[in-house]
Amino acid sequence: MKNLYRPIESVIEDIKKETHNITTYRFRPKEPISFKAGQFVELTVPGVGEAPFTPSSNPAVTETMEITIMRVGCVTEALEKMKVGDTVGIRGPYGNAYNLEDFDDKNIVIVGGGVGLAPLRSLILALFENVEKYKRISIRYGARTPMDIVYADALPEWEKYPNVDVHLTIDEPYPGWQGTVGVVTVLLEDLPLLTTANVDDLPFTVENAVACVCGPPIMLKFVNMALLEKGFDPNQIYHSMERNMSCGLGKCGHCMMGEYYICKDGAVMTAAQVAKFEDPF
Amino acid sequence: MKEVFIGRENLLKLIGRWAKDHRVYVPVTFDIMNHPETPDYELVKEEVPASLELHGACPAQTPKSFLFYSREVVSKYPNSNPEAEVEAPPTVLVGPRACDLEGIKKFDKVYWSTKHFTEEYDDPFYIEKRENTTIVSVDCTAAKETCFCTIVGGKPYVDADFDLNISPVENGYILSVGSEKGEKLMAGSDDLTSEVTGGHHDEQKRIRGSVTEAIERQNAEFKVDVPYDKHELGSDEDAWAHVTANCVGCGACNRACPTCTCFLLWDQKADGGYERTRNWDTCLSIGYARTGGGGNSRANLPQRLENRIRCKMEYSRDRYKLVTCTGCGRCIDVCMGRIDMREAIKHVVTEMAKA
Repeated sequence: MKNLYRPIESVIEDIKKETHNITTYRFRPKEPISFKAGQFVELTVPGVGEAPFTPSSNPAVTETMEITIMRVGCVTEALEKMKVGDTVGIRGPYGNAYNLEDFDDKNIVIVGGGVGLAPLRSLILALFENVEKYKRISIRYGARTPMDIVYADALPEWEKYPNVDVHLTIDEPYPGWQGTVGVVTVLLEDLPLLTTANVDDLPFTVENAVACVCGPPIMLKFVNMALLEKGFDPNQIYHSMERNMSCGLGKCGHCMMGEYYICKDGAVMTAAQVAKFEDPF
Repeated sequence: MKEVFIGRENLLKLIGRWAKDHRVYVPVTFDIMNHPETPDYELVKEEVPASLELHGACPAQTPKSFLFYSREVVSKYPNSNPEAEVEAPPTVLVGPRACDLEGIKKFDKVYWSTKHFTEEYDDPFYIEKRENTTIVSVDCTAAKETCFCTIVGGKPYVDADFDLNISPVENGYILSVGSEKGEKLMAGSDDLTSEVTGGHHDEQKRIRGSVTEAIERQNAEFKVDVPYDKHELGSDEDAWAHVTANCVGCGACNRACPTCTCFLLWDQKADGGYERTRNWDTCLSIGYARTGGGGNSRANLPQRLENRIRCKMEYSRDRYKLVTCTGCGRCIDVCMGRIDMREAIKHVVTEMAKA
């Protein structure tokens, strides 16, 4: 019988610094691991421990996997000290995935906060595989300062698709920053009008939209409120829930929220699914 | 259903025969200062211990000690073997009560999906042990003060879903076969057993009835209007703070509980590499739900005890169609704050009704 707890050895193939505390690693697992956008893996730093991460690379690429990781705890600190050629362990993938078939012909609003854009990047790249199938993909991203923006070089590339627009904001004014200032909800104020130069001819209607949100819990809470206010139905809002996913199998209990195991029933959950909880985020 | 009568001497002999090709654990009484009356399991070595105790209520430990070890190596690193390496010798566990068999049902649902119609992952470490273990259940002949199986839909004896069951009666025991595994244990034991008489059955019935009645009587004060499987305990902060007043978050209740299935994965150095251990965990510890950035969805102790109790009464019911408080009373026995599950539920239900 298959051992569910075995990490697959994976070689660090590339390390790219995104910001002072966020790094993108490219791993090559010794046995192929394929995933769908929204699913996560458990990454083992040998001898230190295991932590859950959502890959940030295109799910269509199966030989390697990129994960963008912020230094926050002991596993990520130990990982930061590792070098190209070192090996880590990867288990998975776990959890549910975005049901991309449901997104056909829709307006997709993607709302990311901080390193929360990392899991969404894998969704974005998956959407780009068939970009013409979607009416419009509107990416709204908030970072603390201009220096905390991840994928800074990729963002302008994304906007080259005719039906894609990218908006940025930073939390507080910063010398030299000409763009929007304020937390990410300021980028939702123009919903449902959504006026942007390159996509003016693609009118945005909330009825035909979905929102995919990922970021710190406090951000999820306020983005959820803002989207509901703009007329989104709770079933149209997909949150990436943050819990302590340890086994990834719906067993160990650490990520439990009511009868849900976020690692198995999530981590992508609709606002409707979590509405019954007093403070789900 | 096959039933036979067996005297005590012959039962010891029968258990001795099992021990030839099984690891056999039996409940025995220990002379321990604080709990001289609670039997616990002992491995049968050369001889079946004379202190074998099949009377009274449930033994100190639950079957999970034998089906889901408190600490177990589940993988190594590096590890190129995709198959699980499980050690699960044939085992016989004598002594679990009806509440314990109810507890195993939760483990089956969580860890043995394909057989128990859940949508979970199959866990090789549990399944192999479960398959290789025959459980010889025992009727309760007395209730401890903290027994309350009858208020959560249970009863102090087993009459379905068992391998082999022992009903203590005068001068011996009725052995009932309930499964193929049980049948196998009884093979070739005709020399030790005799027919069950009407008198034996009458006594079995009398004991079962009187223990049931005793448990109902001692729990009369904990009755609430809402049926046990319809509880919606809610998040009334004051009510849960009241319940938690004496809790220190030690997690003894988790360890003593027959249905606490949660665990912690912990990596450690071993043989030039690392090994991954799986350990019983407690949802009452502050770090249990803590995430990497320091966030914690259950940062306060009342939230954690609330989570534990609602997990038993509501969440398991909603996920596995099983209320997973079996009324064994062990959480009350082991609680240094003397928190009583029955009082807790009653308090919360009553406060909810007021709100």
